[in-house]
Amino acid sequence: MSDQTQAAGTYSQAEEQTTFGFKLRALFLKHEWLRGYLLLSPTLLVMICLMCVPLFMLVAYSFWTQNYLDIDKTFTLANYEAYFQKPIYAALMFKSIRMSLYCTFATLLLAYPMAYFIAFKVTKNKLIWLILITVPFWTSYLLRVFAWKVILGFNGVINSGLISLGIINEPLEFLLYNPTAVVLTLAHAWAAFAILPIYVSLEKIDRSLLEAATDLGDTPKERFWRVTWPLSLPGVIAAGLLVFIPTVGDYVTPKLVGGTTGIMIGNIVQSQFGKANNWPMGAALSVISMLMITILVVTFIAATNRARAKN
Amino acid sequence: MSDTVSKAGSDVRGSEAPRVVESKHEGHSWTGEAPLFIYAVWYLAFLYIPVLFLPLFSFNDSIYVAFPLKGFTLQWYADMLENPALLRALENSVKVGAAVAIASTILGIFAAKAMTRYRLPGKGPLTSFIMLPLVVPGIILGIALLVISNTVGVDLSLYTIAMAHTLVAVPFAMLVLMSRLEGFDKSLEEASLDLGENAFQTFLRVTLPLAWPGILASTLLTFTISFDEFILAFFLAGNEVTLPIYIWSQLRFPNRLPMVLSLGACILVASFFIVTFSEVIRRRGVGTQSGSAI
Amino acid sequence: MKRMGINEFQDKLFTGKLDRRQAFGALAAVGVLPTVMTFGAGRARAAQQPLVLEWSGYEIPELYPPYAAKHGEPDFSFFATEQEMATKIRNGYPADITHPCADSWGRMDDGGLLKAIDTSRLTNWPDVFEGLREHHSIHDADGNVKMIPADWGNSSIIYRTDLYDGEESWCMLFDERYEGKLSMLDSESALLVAGLCHGFGADSFNMTDEMLAEVRPLVEKQARLVRFYWGDQTEVETAMASGEIVAAYAWNSAVKSLKDQGIPVAYAVPKEGILNWLCGLSITNVGTGDEDLVYEYLDAWLSPEAGKFLLEEYGYGHANKITFEISDPQKIADLGFPSDPVEMLNNGLMFQPYDPVVLEKMVDMFDEVKIGL
Repeated sequence: MSDQTQAAGTYSQAEEQTTFGFKLRALFLKHEWLRGYLLLSPTLLVMICLMCVPLFMLVAYSFWTQNYLDIDKTFTLANYEAYFQKPIYAALMFKSIRMSLYCTFATLLLAYPMAYFIAFKVTKNKLIWLILITVPFWTSYLLRVFAWKVILGFNGVINSGLISLGIINEPLEFLLYNPTAVVLTLAHAWAAFAILPIYVSLEKIDRSLLEAATDLGDTPKERFWRVTWPLSLPGVIAAGLLVFIPTVGDYVTPKLVGGTTGIMIGNIVQSQFGKANNWPMGAALSVISMLMITILVVTFIAATNRARAKN
Repeated sequence: MSDTVSKAGSDVRGSEAPRVVESKHEGHSWTGEAPLFIYAVWYLAFLYIPVLFLPLFSFNDSIYVAFPLKGFTLQWYADMLENPALLRALENSVKVGAAVAIASTILGIFAAKAMTRYRLPGKGPLTSFIMLPLVVPGIILGIALLVISNTVGVDLSLYTIAMAHTLVAVPFAMLVLMSRLEGFDKSLEEASLDLGENAFQTFLRVTLPLAWPGILASTLLTFTISFDEFILAFFLAGNEVTLPIYIWSQLRFPNRLPMVLSLGACILVASFFIVTFSEVIRRRGVGTQSGSAI
Repeated sequence: MKRMGINEFQDKLFTGKLDRRQAFGALAAVGVLPTVMTFGAGRARAAQQPLVLEWSGYEIPELYPPYAAKHGEPDFSFFATEQEMATKIRNGYPADITHPCADSWGRMDDGGLLKAIDTSRLTNWPDVFEGLREHHSIHDADGNVKMIPADWGNSSIIYRTDLYDGEESWCMLFDERYEGKLSMLDSESALLVAGLCHGFGADSFNMTDEMLAEVRPLVEKQARLVRFYWGDQTEVETAMASGEIVAAYAWNSAVKSLKDQGIPVAYAVPKEGILNWLCGLSITNVGTGDEDLVYEYLDAWLSPEAGKFLLEEYGYGHANKITFEISDPQKIADLGFPSDPVEMLNNGLMFQPYDPVVLEKMVDMFDEVKIGL
């Protein structure tokens, strides 16, 4: 029904156009995907112009070899072979993915109630709340990491507090320089990136649906799981991706608060591109980690889509 | 956790528009809302406690960010004000951030609408492609864009930094806006077309307002990304640098760190001031426009 | 399909529009719109002023007073690591002057990025310590000067005199007694230090595979002993001030800062020899600035006034010997510089560039050790 009206509405306008314009318009009206691509084209154009060179460079480098300052451009799989020969790389890759998953899960779990609060409980000045959540992240990340060190550190807030309360005698050393510190710092750093997408998807839930559920006798719990949660899933998924993908490759946080046990794959990639000056190896590692992330993300999205389709 | 959520969920009512008045008598709300409210306060504390150390240490008479505190000083603020390069970098960062926020959100709206409204063949690969800047290492992205700029003959400037940041910010903008636009029913836009509006007007008057919370969220996030990005900014900076470049570059000199702390404190305070100020303006504006919008 | 009532539709529109208008008001108040409007292409480059790619903190006019008085400030851009700096220039960034160190300019030169410096155009050159002027680490194979020495200092072990007890040696950083209370720089220098402790001396800068294999157990031991590998001076100084660590690899300026804070620390002169580092200014051959101004800028950096500031405020040694005559003797002593810096330069071990193949092996080994393989 709506398709008809839409076509009719534009038809009358199209009559005044030239034949070519009319044909073009008809073509676009006929093929939905053409309209979609037209709309997508500005973004896609920018991405293609700017991404093709980096992507090509990355993939090409991964099949080359570094020869001091020059690049030997003969095709080789040596870098990929090195990945499978040295167990260090795969071990680190899995460790990074695991840490990122922890971090993503922790971030989402902490963020969801907050997003829920803003979406449903705050009735005015939501903008203020959103800004309140973002403002802490307008200070340099470096400074925030220093602050975390002050909190978790040897003579830090937690240790000093516990000592002055008489709970411990010696400062606890396990607070900083380990994977937990990395996960905590990251969960803090990415908080806004989890809250905002979830908030955005909660905000759009039609309140009449919730009322309907109540009228049908759902308890609040049932209503949450039957209505609110499924409808907020797009936001949760978006938030998950936005936190997970960048944190897998992070190298700054592990370097600053991770100590020797908190190292992630990003640190190795970084040192290959930096000190070791072995760009091909760094590129190969990046390509592998990109592939792993892609596989994980695609599987995850497919799984959630199937689950949603079932409901 | 989910308990808190569902308990608090008992009071969900009203419609999306903030101007719907919460009916207090129906609420029996206090028991339902309290846990969530308390949680929100705790969460805000979690977000703010680390950053509140910045103002604290910015007055501390020691170059180290460590306890115990030594004494009160305004030295670091004086240093900061005497450092034109630092302030200039801050100004540049704000400019670049604002431009990135606007550009990437606009590109994000197009992409998100196309992705959610149309049955696009190859939607999966397209999404992955747009997400690519998040997984390609920053150094590769930076060098490649530097090479592109040289080849095309574009001089390095704040524009090139903004361009690079837009590239990484678009995936964020698109995902946030997709989560907003997904599942909205098409009838709204169709109704607009029924009313004889053209596609652009429909976009302006229907899609945009619907996407508004998403647009706000996207603007905030993309600004934040740009404001704190180092490696792309480094490779694409001409003779104007952004704040993260300046800060990371002076880690070599510990005695200059407190100055950066003061700046961090000032950014925090200024943000609050601006938020409050704009809220006052907004209220005043609303007051003269219509009484119905609370 | 659900159809929406026209009233509801208008209602939503109205709400949306209202929200938008309010928020635009807010944005305008924030000043975002005005800022974007003034978003220019950056400062236009002043005619012919050189473009200097520097560490931030080195851009202040006090470090090149004669130049600043005459020509104002050159254009600056900043970098955080020398590798990134070299990569950026190699990929076409037209900096005129940059600031590498003795162990990093060689790689830039091999890439054909640096110009030979005509020292006869530098009026302050005769006042530079002879030991530095003649030093092999600033000359290329043909004897051309490729980096004028500017700032220099030591790398050694800083330790808490109240908490650490033992002989001053590079082996302090491998002392079992202080497990969890040591710190090393997060770099392949860990292998260098292990080599020094192991008794390889200057050969530690060019270790063979066998030598590397020999020091590996030491590096692994250190990985177990350190509280953390530090990434920046601030980190190590903070931890040292709190007593979290008692001995660490660090630079001169850390000694001064910690002493200024009243912390009882000393700077070791290891029996195997103290490490000296030397950084300086190089002229690239991709710059577009006026060459006379480039030389004037270099000359200004070598002036004693610049040196006095560098030494007293930043805690680094300076290349000009007059600097040491006009600076506060107390401050010189606090930094751990001897009265005759030349002697120190001669007796210590100057950082040397690693062979690139060896360096890559060192970086890989260091990464492996850190991960625990």
